[in-house]
Amino acid sequence: MDEVQLLHRFLLVGALLFAIGLVGFLSRRNMIVMFLAAEMMLQGVSVSLVGWGRFHNDWGGQILVIFILAVAACEAGIALALVLMLFHRSGRLDVAVWQSIRESNQPKFVDQQLPEEPLTIEHWPVLPHAGVQPELPAEEMIHRSHV
Amino acid sequence: MFSTETFMVLVPALPLAAALFVGLFGFKLLKERSHIPVIAALATSFLLSLFLFGAVQSETSQKRAGASVGVEKLVRLWTWADLNDAYRLGEGEQAAQRPFSIDVTLRADPLTAIMLSMVTLISLLVAVYSVGYMHGDPGYPRFFAYVSLFVFSMTMLVSVSNFVLLFVFWEAVGLCSYLLIGYWYEKPEAAAAGKKAFLVNRIGDFGFALGMFLIWTTYGTLDFHDVGPGGELVSATSPDEGGQVAVQGVLGQSRLEDPAKGYVGGGVALAICLCLVAGACGKSAQFPLHVWLPDAMEGPTPVSALIHAATMVTAGVYMCTRCTPLFAASPEAQAVLAVVGGFTALLAALIALTQNDLKRVMAYSTISQLGYMFLGVGTGLLAGIGAGMFHLFTHAFFKALLFLASGSVMHAMGGIIDMRRFGGLRRIMPWTHLTFLAGCLALCGVFPFAGFYSKDAILAAAHDRGHDDLVLLAGTSLQFSLYTVLYYAGMFTAFLTAVYTFRAYFMTFHGETRIPPEAGHHAHESPRSMVVPLAILAVFALGVGMVVTYYTDIFANFLHHTPSLAFSGLAAESHGEGGHLQVEALSTVLALAGIGAAAYLFLGERRQVEELSLWMRAVRLYRLSFYQLSYNKFFIDQIYNALIVAPLRLLANISNWFDEKAIDGLVNLVGRVPPAFGAMLRPLQNGLVQFYALAMMLGLVVLIGTLLMWPAS
Repeated sequence: MDEVQLLHRFLLVGALLFAIGLVGFLSRRNMIVMFLAAEMMLQGVSVSLVGWGRFHNDWGGQILVIFILAVAACEAGIALALVLMLFHRSGRLDVAVWQSIRESNQPKFVDQQLPEEPLTIEHWPVLPHAGVQPELPAEEMIHRSHV
Repeated sequence: MFSTETFMVLVPALPLAAALFVGLFGFKLLKERSHIPVIAALATSFLLSLFLFGAVQSETSQKRAGASVGVEKLVRLWTWADLNDAYRLGEGEQAAQRPFSIDVTLRADPLTAIMLSMVTLISLLVAVYSVGYMHGDPGYPRFFAYVSLFVFSMTMLVSVSNFVLLFVFWEAVGLCSYLLIGYWYEKPEAAAAGKKAFLVNRIGDFGFALGMFLIWTTYGTLDFHDVGPGGELVSATSPDEGGQVAVQGVLGQSRLEDPAKGYVGGGVALAICLCLVAGACGKSAQFPLHVWLPDAMEGPTPVSALIHAATMVTAGVYMCTRCTPLFAASPEAQAVLAVVGGFTALLAALIALTQNDLKRVMAYSTISQLGYMFLGVGTGLLAGIGAGMFHLFTHAFFKALLFLASGSVMHAMGGIIDMRRFGGLRRIMPWTHLTFLAGCLALCGVFPFAGFYSKDAILAAAHDRGHDDLVLLAGTSLQFSLYTVLYYAGMFTAFLTAVYTFRAYFMTFHGETRIPPEAGHHAHESPRSMVVPLAILAVFALGVGMVVTYYTDIFANFLHHTPSLAFSGLAAESHGEGGHLQVEALSTVLALAGIGAAAYLFLGERRQVEELSLWMRAVRLYRLSFYQLSYNKFFIDQIYNALIVAPLRLLANISNWFDEKAIDGLVNLVGRVPPAFGAMLRPLQNGLVQFYALAMMLGLVVLIGTLLMWPAS
C-alpha cells in the first residue's frame, strides 16, 4: 500500500467522522449528544491531520493533534459544565428550550406532535380472589397494570 | 484721566460693569447685598453726567449769541464693520461702491447731556426704592443686574452717534424691558405681557430698520457726525476752525449749514420720516402700537416707573428730536407725528377715565403724556421741540413718582392694585399720600408745578403753529388748521388728565378707610428706602418746572445748542417768547375744572359716580355705550386679536399641520426603509441553535465552494 492510498484512507475516515458528527450535530437536540457530535467532527479533522502528517513525513500533524486533544479536553470540561447549568435551569437537556434568544417578534418553534398511536386495551383474565390479597404499594400497582 | 472724554465713556461703562458683576457674582456672593454695586455705579454715573452737563454748558456759554452752530463733543472708541466697498443703491452717479463703517462713537451735546442726567438720576432713585420694594424676592440679584444693564443700554442709546448703534441699543433697551416685564416669569400674565411688548416693538423696529436703510441709500452714511478725509472726527465746532469734511454725517454740521442742499425733500424724506415715526410709535407706545404698555405693568413697579414711564418709552421722542433736520425736510411727516401724538394723547386719556387698576391708569396716562411730547416735536417749531423735551424731562420725574407711589400702595396692600378694593389710605400712608398728591398736581399741570410749564409750552407751540398754518376751508368762510384741531384736542386732554388723575387719587387716598384682606398686617407706611426716593422725586416734580423755567435756561437756550436743533432752517421759524397767557390761563382753568369734577364725583359717598356712569352709558356709539368703549380700551386689543393674531394663528396652525403631516410624514417614510429591510432578514434569528449551525455550515460550503471553483489566478 503506497503512501497516497494510505492518505486517501486516512482522509476518508476523517471525512466520514466529520460528516457523521455534522449530521449528528444538526439533527439532534440533546445537548450532550450535540456535544459528542461536535467532538466527533473535531476528531475527524484530527485524523486527517495525522494522515497529512504522515504523508509529508512531518511530526507536526501529530503534535497538533496532541494539542487538539488537550484543548478538546478543556473544552469538554467547560461545555459539560455549561450543559449542566442549563439543565439545572430548565430541568431538560433539549436545546430548543432556549429558543428565547430569537428576535422578539419571530414565532416560537413548536414541536410537531407525532400522531398518537391508538392505545390498545388489553384484557387480562381476571381470576377470582383466593386467599389474602398481598398488599402492594401504589406505585407498583401502576407498573403491574402494564405488565 | 478726568477729561470730558473719560466721563463720556464712564457714564455707560459703570452700569455695565455693575451689571456684569452682579450678574456673575450676585447669586453666589452678594445675595441680599446685590444692590450695593448697582447703586454705587448709578450714583457715580449720575455725578459724572452732571460734570458732563457742566462741561457742555460751559462750552455753550462761550458761543456767540445767535450762532447757528451747535456744540458737540465726540469720542471714538473703535470702528466696527469697516467695509471699503459696500454697495449703495441709487440712480446714476449715486449708485457706487461706498465705504461703510460704523463708528462706535459717543457724543456729548446738550440733548445727550440732559437725557443722561435725567436717566441716571431717575434710575438711581428707582434703584434705591427697589431695595425696599424687592426685599426678600428670590431673584433679587437678577433684578439689579437687569436694571443696571438697562441703564447701560439707555445711556448708550442717548450717547451714540450712529444710526446702527442707536438701533442696537434701541433693541437692547427693548430686551431689558422684556426681561424685566417678565421678571416674575412663573406668572403666565407676566410672561405673556413680556412677549407682547417684544412683538409689538418688533413692528416698530421693522419700520426703524427700513428708515435706516433708506437713510443709507439716500445719504450714504449712517453717522450723525461729519468725518474728515483721514477718518478723523469733525465735531460741529470744528468747521469754524477749518476742518475738512470727507463724509457728511446725516446730522453733521456740514449738512446743517445749508439744510436746503444737505437734505433731500419730497417723497424720500417723507418715507424716511414715516419709517422713523413707526419706530418711535413702537418704542414710545403711540397709537396704533400702544397696546403693549398697559400690559407691561405686569412687571415689578420700579420697572414700570423706570422703563415704562420715565426713560425707555421716551426713546422715541429722543430719536425724533435727534432727527429734527430730517423731519424739517418733510412737513407732512411732522404733521403725521403731531396727529399721532395728539390722537394718542386723547385716546389714552379717554381710556384712563374708567380703568380701575391704579397702575393701568398710570400706564394710559404715560401713553397720553408721550402723545403730548410727540405733538410738541411734531409742531416742527424750535419752541415745540424744546417743549417736547421739556415735557419729557418733567414727565420723567412726576410719572416715576406716581408709579413709585402706586408701588408703595401696592406694597402695603399685599399686591392688590384694584382701586375699588381700598380707600382712605391717607391716614395709613401719609408720606405716600403726600408724594402721590404732588405727582398728581404736577401731572395735571396745576400752577406752578412741573407739568404746568412743560405742557403749556407744548400747547402754546401747537397754538402758534396752528395760527401760522390757518387755511380757508374750501367753500366756507371757516378757517382751519390741523394744528389748531390738535391744540384743542390737547386742551381737552388736559382736562381729562386732571379728571382721571384725581379720580385715582380720591379713590385711593380718600373716602372711608378700606383695606383688602390680602394686606394682612402689612397695611402700614413703606420702609424708608422707599419713602426717601419718593420724597426726592416729589420735590423735583413740584419744583423742577419752575426752577428750569425761571432760574436756568436749559430748555429755553441750552438745548438749542444741540447740533440737530441749531441749524438755520429751524431757528428762523421760532417765535419770540411771551404772549401765551391765554393758553396758560385756559389750561389752568381746565385742569382745575377737571380736579373739581373729580372731587365732585369721587369724594364723599360717590353717589355721583352712578350719575356719571349713567350719563356715560347714555352716550352711545352704535350699541356700545361710551363707558363700555372706554372700559374696554376701545376694543383695540380685541380688534388686533381678530385682525392680526387670529389669522396668524390660523396660518401657524396650518403650517404646523403641514409640518407634522406632510414633511414629517415624508421623513418618517424614509426612516421606515431600513427597518423594512431588517424585517426581511429578521426570520433568520429564530433562536434555534441547529438552524444557526446549519446556516454556518452552508456559509462555509459556499465559501469553500467559491474558493475551489474560482479560476486560479
